[in-house]
Amino acid sequence: MRNFTLPSEELMGSGHLGCQGCGGALAMRYALKAAGENTIVVIPACCWTIIAGPFPYSSLKVPVLHTAFETAAVAAAGVRAALDIQGNTETTVLAWAGDGGTFDIGLQALSGAAERNENIIYICYDNEAYMNTGIQRSGATPYLAWTTTTPEKTPKTEPKKDIMAIMVAHRIPYAATATIAYPDDFIRKVQKAKSIYGTKFLHVLAPCPPGWKAPSELAITLSRLAVQTRVFPLYEVEDGERYILNRPKEETALPVSEYLKLQGRFSHLTEQEIQEIQKIIDTRWQRLLRLVSESS
Amino acid sequence: MRKPIVFTSEHEMPPMAVSLADMGHNRTGGWRYLRPIYSEKLAPCKSACPVGNDIPRILSLVSEGHYEDAWRLFRETSPLPGVCGRVCYHPCESFCNRKNFDEALSIASIERFVADACFGLEDRISERPRRSEKIAIVGSGPAGLTCAYFLAKDGYAVTVFEAASQPGGMLRLGIPSYRLPREVLDREIELIARWGVEFRTNIRVGQEIDIEKLWEQHDAVFIATGAHRGRALNIPGEEFALQGLEFLKAVNLSPNPSPTRRGEGSQGVRLGKKVLVIGGGNTAMDCARTALRLGAQPIVVYRRTREEMPAITEEIEEAEHEGVQFEFLAAPVAIHKLNDKLEVQCIRMKLGEPDKSGRRRPVPIPGSDFILRADSVLKAVGEEPDLSFISESLETSEGIVMDRSHELLERAGVFIGGDAQTGPSTVAQAMRSGKETAQAIMRFLRGERTPKPKKLEEALRVNFAYFAHMPRVPTPQLPVSERIANFAETKRALSPEQARAEATRCFSCGVCNNCDNCWVFCPDVAITRMNGTYEVNYDFCKGCGVCVEECPRSVISLVEEEL
Repeated sequence: MRNFTLPSEELMGSGHLGCQGCGGALAMRYALKAAGENTIVVIPACCWTIIAGPFPYSSLKVPVLHTAFETAAVAAAGVRAALDIQGNTETTVLAWAGDGGTFDIGLQALSGAAERNENIIYICYDNEAYMNTGIQRSGATPYLAWTTTTPEKTPKTEPKKDIMAIMVAHRIPYAATATIAYPDDFIRKVQKAKSIYGTKFLHVLAPCPPGWKAPSELAITLSRLAVQTRVFPLYEVEDGERYILNRPKEETALPVSEYLKLQGRFSHLTEQEIQEIQKIIDTRWQRLLRLVSESS
Repeated sequence: MRKPIVFTSEHEMPPMAVSLADMGHNRTGGWRYLRPIYSEKLAPCKSACPVGNDIPRILSLVSEGHYEDAWRLFRETSPLPGVCGRVCYHPCESFCNRKNFDEALSIASIERFVADACFGLEDRISERPRRSEKIAIVGSGPAGLTCAYFLAKDGYAVTVFEAASQPGGMLRLGIPSYRLPREVLDREIELIARWGVEFRTNIRVGQEIDIEKLWEQHDAVFIATGAHRGRALNIPGEEFALQGLEFLKAVNLSPNPSPTRRGEGSQGVRLGKKVLVIGGGNTAMDCARTALRLGAQPIVVYRRTREEMPAITEEIEEAEHEGVQFEFLAAPVAIHKLNDKLEVQCIRMKLGEPDKSGRRRPVPIPGSDFILRADSVLKAVGEEPDLSFISESLETSEGIVMDRSHELLERAGVFIGGDAQTGPSTVAQAMRSGKETAQAIMRFLRGERTPKPKKLEEALRVNFAYFAHMPRVPTPQLPVSERIANFAETKRALSPEQARAEATRCFSCGVCNNCDNCWVFCPDVAITRMNGTYEVNYDFCKGCGVCVEECPRSVISLVEEEL
């Protein structure tokens, strides 16, 4: 009566330094199950710099190259080039960066790699703020959310950057969203990315219980609610053109309040603000549906 | 590597920052202040089942097509799955967690399917100690049969005394064959007899045999004589009305009840065309539906409204469906005989204040008398136990106490249960009583004390995210046109496909069915899949609680870590 068909191979070990209920840790576990043993992971400054463990330890059973904040994509492209020169086209190179290193600090390197169509998989595990340095706002922090640099009295007034639109605009062969409550979907997308030549980009929503001020046991629930409320729709874009929606569009969405009310970072919101967020989500959903229907 | 690496000099260090070991030395279990533990819970259906059938496991077996295993699991807790699948009012379904999601599981129809699918099978009679103690059971209804089954399975010599010509008690005498075909009942009694239970029929305690003699000759006696004495109307002309239960017994014991032109048939009951049934309980419904099948036109006369009827709703609906007429808010005040016909003088009622039972009390409206004409009148206003065979001396000197606890009875070695103890109740409640009494008798004979009842935690929390809506499979029914002229069973069995589909709807509340969610969602890779089970590695589990939250069926509990 299994609910999922996860590969049994474990390439992430116990003893890592992720917090209780870490969505980023679970995302890595799934990504490596899909990518397989023959993978090199490139990690810029982000939570995973810490989670993997300090020198001379690593909780990952694949090689890891720790690199500077802004360099995930270009360092991965370098590893790829080195492998190619050795005639090794089998090894997968996986850049693994947080939202800070993707949306903000590493964006130019990522844009450059995408423009050159470097043959790498780039996964951004997005926990929506600079979490390991103390929950500072990032370009991925949602509209009106609390962080330590956007306190409740002056929450973030800018919308979350649409990283998928940015990457799709590079017309890379494959871009997709995924999240930890849907492991089969997640793993299928990593495996699909592995089978495609060029720059592949995955935007993964990775709930962070301490940063979102939510109980750790709700990590999966929050990820699921993000999809069910359409805060974070699951979709794929091939060659910057073909949009594929992964959850049936006729499915009725839950109100966004179901998602917001479980998180302390949104506890200051007024009913009016929640309605405003709902409207933004509805508009974005309609836009996505339009893109899906236009490309089919 | 489970120890931290310590470099004592620069030369021991690698030339560049490269990892030499995994993080296994870092026992993150120390972060934990809440501990997840696997502890299966009691499914609400199983908790509600009077005989404690292991419903989630049975449904899981059915969903996989293992019907024989399912049947054997039923028989561990109940000797009458074929009977219960048909006549039990399935309290299990009322408590099914799935009713909060879409619709409750159709548990009774699956039980019936399993019993039908395994009709030819027999219990595996296990090697068991032959015990010297002899036990007499008075009455072979659901309480007596169940008690006999469990005692015989434990090696005791059991004799069941039955006043009627065949065993079964109310199952045979009270329940019409369109609800419970006789071959089903016969077969399940036969399987009980295979365990060595002796049935002695046509022996009425108090007439053919004396209760005190039984007590002398046996090590324990169980009185399970049921509630067969019909209550009186206490109105003038009562003698013209027939007890509904007596009518049912006559029809149910006749080999071939069939409709006759004027209701004069092999069953030896002269009914006529127009039949009034007084009362609103299950006996009244059985009387009306039986009369209908004998060619009569029954009218149920009840002093309150449909809402207050004590009969099970399903029975009322079936009666209405088959064309039984109802005269609500009417009570008989006298019966007159004119020539061959009866005139029932009734008074119109209205509902007043609620009484003890919470139902609104019927209040007569003065001067509202009216006449209902009929060929016969059946009274079905309740039954009560007839315990006149218990002599005063036994009752007083040895302390027969009508008490659920069995405590005082155990001292005497005389036990009472089923409807004889409680008054009319359901088949399943009588079976529970029979089963509990079997256990009480065993304890009595072995000099053991009554154990404190252990209350298991119920599995009430279901994570609906892991289930898809699926409508309940309706129980197939015989069309009305094909049922009112005969005693054919009105409910049909599910097909194997329907039964399996319905069984897959089970949430398996509180019972792990290896869905893997705990293993899949552990961010710390601290759960290991074993052969069919899971194990938490407490060296690394940080106690985040994700596995507890994502377990669809509350098998995992989170407890505070002891310091």
